[in-house]
Amino acid sequence: MRARIVLWVCLVATGAGAAGAEVALEPAPEGVDARAIAARVEDIFRGRTSFMEATMTITSPRLPEPRRVSFRSWDDRPEKRSFIRILAPPKDKGMGFLKLHPNLWNYIPRVERTLRVPPSMMLQSWMGSDFTNDDLVRESSQLDDYDHSLLGVDPDQAGRRAYVLEYRPHEDAPVIWGRILSWVDSESYAPLRQDFFDEAGERLREQHFADIRDVQGRPFPHSWSMTPLDKEGHETAIEIHAVRFDEDFDDAIFTKRNLTRAQVRGLGK
Amino acid sequence: MTLELRLAWRNIGRNLRRTGLTVAATVFAVFLVILSVTLQHGVHEKMVEDAVRVLSGHVQVSGEDYLDQRTLEQYVEVGPELLERLEATRGVVGVAPRVVGFGLVSKGSSTNGVAVFGVDPEREGRVSTLPTRMVEGEFLAPGGQGGILLGGRLANNLGARLGDELLLYSVAYSLETAYELYTVQGILRLPEPALDRTLVLLSLQDAQTFFAYGNKVSEVALLADHAGEVGPILAELAGGVRGSDGAALAVHSWNEVMPELEQFIFLDDAGAYIILFILVVVVAFGILNTILMSVLERVRELGVMLALGLKPGSIFRVVYLESMMLAGLGLLIGLVLAIPTALHLEQNPIPMGEEMAGVAELVAMDPVVTFVLHPSTPIGAALVILFVAALAALYPAIKASRSRPVDALRSL
Repeated sequence: MRARIVLWVCLVATGAGAAGAEVALEPAPEGVDARAIAARVEDIFRGRTSFMEATMTITSPRLPEPRRVSFRSWDDRPEKRSFIRILAPPKDKGMGFLKLHPNLWNYIPRVERTLRVPPSMMLQSWMGSDFTNDDLVRESSQLDDYDHSLLGVDPDQAGRRAYVLEYRPHEDAPVIWGRILSWVDSESYAPLRQDFFDEAGERLREQHFADIRDVQGRPFPHSWSMTPLDKEGHETAIEIHAVRFDEDFDDAIFTKRNLTRAQVRGLGK
Repeated sequence: MTLELRLAWRNIGRNLRRTGLTVAATVFAVFLVILSVTLQHGVHEKMVEDAVRVLSGHVQVSGEDYLDQRTLEQYVEVGPELLERLEATRGVVGVAPRVVGFGLVSKGSSTNGVAVFGVDPEREGRVSTLPTRMVEGEFLAPGGQGGILLGGRLANNLGARLGDELLLYSVAYSLETAYELYTVQGILRLPEPALDRTLVLLSLQDAQTFFAYGNKVSEVALLADHAGEVGPILAELAGGVRGSDGAALAVHSWNEVMPELEQFIFLDDAGAYIILFILVVVVAFGILNTILMSVLERVRELGVMLALGLKPGSIFRVVYLESMMLAGLGLLIGLVLAIPTALHLEQNPIPMGEEMAGVAELVAMDPVVTFVLHPSTPIGAALVILFVAALAALYPAIKASRSRPVDALRSL
């Protein structure tokens, strides 16, 4: 019996090691609800609605210097719609993305064309970054499309005690990840890190969150970084300059009319 | 030994009808084996030749890992020296550099994911049959023209016609967004539906501009004189091909680029060889039966020979030689009939019936059934028949050598 317990502990330990937890996890405290934490994280990221202004910095061995893309985004979670307007670089200025569930349109002002991004392209790179189209418009929900369990507590994740949660997708959920590991600050519930695995169990990308500051009572990370593990030297960082939650958006934002009126309106609110 | 040979030869002549039937069965088997293997080879080699001419070429030079990843990250920095070196390789008849990328093509409200091939209009025709597959419009001209060619099904899905303006959208090598309007200059019909639905052709120069790719290409496809040259070409290039930037490049043969084709051929061959194996086994039992009958009929004769002092070993050899002679005779006649027939068919492929020809034309194949005789085919057939005969003869020969004069007396 004892041998069996030792074996079990070893298995769990190797499992956690393979999962990418650099340090052994402490057992989770009693009475912590994994789903409630996941819901908290989802709310910190998205609220009911969210407005953001941010700059994305793409680093790659291909590039002599990083490429920067600035944008504004409006996300309306209950209505399943979002809108993104590119502010820089000059070549892409005025480009817009409009998601009205389940469609995604992309407007290119230089050629004055709107194209519908087919579902098969949702996992392609967004604007050349390591984020996908899906990451930006968040077609899937980390709350509704996954089952959540608490693996334990990481005593030192970027200097903080963090719950380590495992998200496993529902059978028929429209997601590509086999599982997600999520580190959440045990005091503030701020998201610290997420690792994404494919269905074969291989870790494909690592996302870190830092510069956590209070926004309307939320511990919101203002610095995100995405590292694809299969592409050496690639990294995409997002710095968030401004973020506002739970505003009531004008319906006019989420229209094709607004999408194609790059210079006139829709750049601000 | 000479005595045994003579005895064996006479025994063969003693029952001409039986001998004739056995020999005929062997001839038939040899003929069938050689012709069907020749047909297998002919059909498969043609399949490969047709397939490599669709796009892939016999040999591809590309960046390391290109076959696994197929992104803009894996590239060949290409300059005139590299192309000249590849063109000067023995057995190479065509060299086509290409940019391969992925993107979206949009017209009006319809958008399709596509594979973008940037091809050198002057060189492409020496490797692939792309320029011959135009059903409408003109093939690309050298230089940057702003023209785009579409696969037929893709054009249909988009509702695109000649002269329409399409938006091509992707991410460039520089990680910038890439978007450009191109005019539909032609429509192609490709044999593979998956390709016909997704293929977009640009001139090499346009594609390099679009993807901000400089002098890079994704792959350089080589066409060999015939598939048999692939081995020597790979051997010659194995010394290490380098791009103009000095980067080591990977060289792959068609079967690595299209593993599914090789697998299909393997499975098809396996099926054919199982049938041939059954045929050969039937022939083996024919020989076994003939010899065993003749041994059983000659109990008395064998008894007398043993009584006269012939050793069991000699009896064994006589009977064994008989079967080998039967097999050898059948084999010889079989080869004499099969080899010229196979050579004739190799020279004169059989035209397909009208119905099949229509199908073949759809997929841009010549509507003929081809045969290819490799020297290994008759040699292999001969070895197999002789081996099988040698095995089949063992039992009757052993039985004969164990006859006892007493049994012979009793059988009187």
